[in-house]
Amino acid sequence: MSEKKQQVSRRQFLNYTLTGVGGFMAAGMLAPMVRFAIDPVLQASSGGDMHAVVDVSEITTEPQRFDWTIEQVDAWYTSDVTHSAWVYKDDNDEIVALSPTCKHLGCAVNWAGDPDHPDQFFCPCHEGRYYKDGVNVPNTPPNAALDLFEFEVREGTLYLGNAIERGGDN
Amino acid sequence: MKWQTKNLALYFQSQEYVDTLCIPLIPIELKNELEAIKLADQQKSLQLISDELERNFTGRIFLSPSYTYIKESDFDAESKRLNQWTSSLSQNKFQHIFFLTYDVNWKKYENNLEGSLIWLTANSIDDYQSDQTKNWIKSQINQISELIRSYW
Ligand code: FES
Repeated sequence: MSEKKQQVSRRQFLNYTLTGVGGFMAAGMLAPMVRFAIDPVLQASSGGDMHAVVDVSEITTEPQRFDWTIEQVDAWYTSDVTHSAWVYKDDNDEIVALSPTCKHLGCAVNWAGDPDHPDQFFCPCHEGRYYKDGVNVPNTPPNAALDLFEFEVREGTLYLGNAIERGGDN
Repeated sequence: MKWQTKNLALYFQSQEYVDTLCIPLIPIELKNELEAIKLADQQKSLQLISDELERNFTGRIFLSPSYTYIKESDFDAESKRLNQWTSSLSQNKFQHIFFLTYDVNWKKYENNLEGSLIWLTANSIDDYQSDQTKNWIKSQINQISELIRSYW
């Protein structure tokens, strides 16, 4: 009886082992396929992406606001998120792309939004102001300069990436 | 700011700067297919407009979750309930309260409401990515922003 029991358990042992090996093989085959299936999603949500925003020929010395929409993938669903930038060419003909997000509490700033300061960015929420280069005007609520977007020009199109903080500038 | 964990932490730190409460009013019903589809479509576009408004004025506007009600309700009772709802949410901390809606029924009860009604005329949207839609939404947002700023 003990022998029989042993036989059964040996067969079971083999069964388990083979299933295990088979499982491993299946996993080995599946893993790259799963990766393949989810990879584009991972890429789409990775931070360093550059997005085509505007034709360089449209950029003037006067800051203009451009919007673009990206698909953001959160854990459970995908949503479209709109981003904006104030873009202009400075005196050296260099492109400057500023984030519109006020460094005080995050409202969107406007170029020349305050008639008294037509050459500054203005935040309508608590009257924060910034010079054209994005540096905050002292004695207004914001205590840092507007973030600058990483950018790149490819075949006449401006691509923008992440907004980078410049730190305090009181 | 929004009803979201991250935003709420910031809200409680900077309450004195956030003086405006916006509440979208969303009617629902499931009796009639066409009507339901129309309402769902309006909800989507109102949400889009509210979100965009909030994005422009994050530091000063608190966007509340939508107030949802049955389309054919008694608006007398509904406006009382809305007032109660609003005052317990705002606790007198907001100087400006705005209701955003496509539902014209509120117009008649505007004077009963403890806040300003912003009634938008509906426009059915088929393609949210089209330039026409984007421009329409932009112009709606510009007009609402101007209105809200005139109260500040
Ligand atoms: S959010 Fe811009 S000044 Fe307060």
